[in-house]
Amino acid sequence: MAARLEIVSPEGLRVDGRRPAEVRRVLTRTGVLSQADGSAYIEQGNTKCLAAVYGPREPVKRAGVLHDRATINVEYNVSSFSSGERRAKLRRDRKLLEIGLMIKQTFETVVATTSFPRSEIDIYLQILQTDGGAVHTAINAATLALIDAGIPMTDYVCACSAGFVNDQAILDLNFLEESADVPTLTVALLPKSGKISMLGLESRLHIDKLEPVIALASDGCMQMKDTLDEAIRISTRNLAKTVLH
Amino acid sequence: MAPAAAAAAPTPAGNGTSVSAMAVDGDVAAAASQGFSLDPDTFQKIHPAEFHRRFLSQGVRADGRPLQKFRKAKISLGPVSTANGSAMVRLGDTTIICGVKAEVAEPKPAAPRSGFIVPNLDLPPLCSPNYRPGPPSELAQTVSEYMDQVIKSCDLVNPETLCIEPGHAVWVLYVDIVCLNHGGNVVDAAMIALAAALKHTRLPQATYYETESTVRVTDTFTIPLSVKRTLVPVTFGVFDAAVVIADPTAEEEAHLSTTLTYVLDAENGEAAYGVLKSGGSAVPRDMLVACWDDARKRAVDVVAALAEAEQAGNRRPDVAAV
Repeated sequence: MAARLEIVSPEGLRVDGRRPAEVRRVLTRTGVLSQADGSAYIEQGNTKCLAAVYGPREPVKRAGVLHDRATINVEYNVSSFSSGERRAKLRRDRKLLEIGLMIKQTFETVVATTSFPRSEIDIYLQILQTDGGAVHTAINAATLALIDAGIPMTDYVCACSAGFVNDQAILDLNFLEESADVPTLTVALLPKSGKISMLGLESRLHIDKLEPVIALASDGCMQMKDTLDEAIRISTRNLAKTVLH
Repeated sequence: MAPAAAAAAPTPAGNGTSVSAMAVDGDVAAAASQGFSLDPDTFQKIHPAEFHRRFLSQGVRADGRPLQKFRKAKISLGPVSTANGSAMVRLGDTTIICGVKAEVAEPKPAAPRSGFIVPNLDLPPLCSPNYRPGPPSELAQTVSEYMDQVIKSCDLVNPETLCIEPGHAVWVLYVDIVCLNHGGNVVDAAMIALAAALKHTRLPQATYYETESTVRVTDTFTIPLSVKRTLVPVTFGVFDAAVVIADPTAEEEAHLSTTLTYVLDAENGEAAYGVLKSGGSAVPRDMLVACWDDARKRAVDVVAALAEAEQAGNRRPDVAAV
């Protein structure tokens, strides 16, 4: 075990110098793409994600039409140059499809789909660079892009990840930590009600530790909420300025 | 025809004034004389081709550019720090990001010293409302193939410089180009991004170990690629088989009768490495020659933008991507 990377040092610092319960620097922009109805860009540490929202618009395929509400489509895409190892692009990568489905189901509960019957809302997520936490960054970017598109939602969806190592929970794992066998839990939360809408864990974690990890991840989600809220307030203020002048 | 409608000359959208009377044909013109008018946005939606025709007949375009004016290429190097080389290129609204990833592979027996460059253009549904999820579009595949041919034929990078150990190991450079926003003329933006990213590419030091038949590489990317020339693509659109416009936008592209792409060697303005005119309306020969002259002028500007980007962002890993 000596060769293993030290995730949290005896001084209580992580590999990138953060404290266990600290999120990485987050940079947000909205309205970055001219073609999309709504778009957002998020940098969380070195993870970079671009989100575009099209719609509500008329569906191309009749088959997917729901007569009482809008359908939401999510495509989650990872650029082949985004990670250390190049990943050959498979046309139907199951992992990407699964993440897309997970994100789609998360947003179906929050977006006021019944306001737009017989239409579709497309959310396209493109990861440009990964350094851990790609899924939660994508969810946060999608939230911003949906708000930027002016699509009514009952709440924000804020996501963050947390892991458990050396008897303590750590927040917002980077790539080194994720790949060092730290069990990683991704949580998406609706901050107004505090309810959890998505929870993903794909490795072994003792049941007693689940509670503190979820608690820490939820705390991270609330921090993300403040960041997203600030981004939306800034863009709305700018919008108001252009309308008023 | 009512005089009000006949005189309906559009104003470039760029200066912010609106166009008042814009009627279409005889019947609508009659309506215009009765005080009916369309605002420019509506007119563009109903009659997009006519909308552009009116602008072009006045020698100006919907975004305010003169016919032969190109959009400035904005290039930034190194937006993706996980790639061996990367570049982001903007032409107006068109945004393209290109990443080069180097991998070790076995060479072909016929060419034991030759590495590979594999360009691939991706036009994801993210970049335009007209694209839907599914297999890569024909345009994306055609352009990828065309870039591959141009790179090979002009000997952009000598494949033998990508050799690690003859017959055993060579570098493969995967050049993945992703369109983030389709604002027209993706071909130019993609090829400029490719040129910029290759110039920005640094390979790690690689050593081949005969006994284990493995290649070990260093952690740091230090060795620059020797790129022989700067390829500059220049695209023109032809409207109504007669009016040539430089660097068309997405709205204009939809109504062009054909497009013309030249690929120039910028250091040697006399050499073309490719001319692509894939079908569409026929054009007279003097039009081709006139466009070639404009293309050479454009190439100088693009090379200046490339040099500027190289000076500004030389290996700066932390540049925000968007």
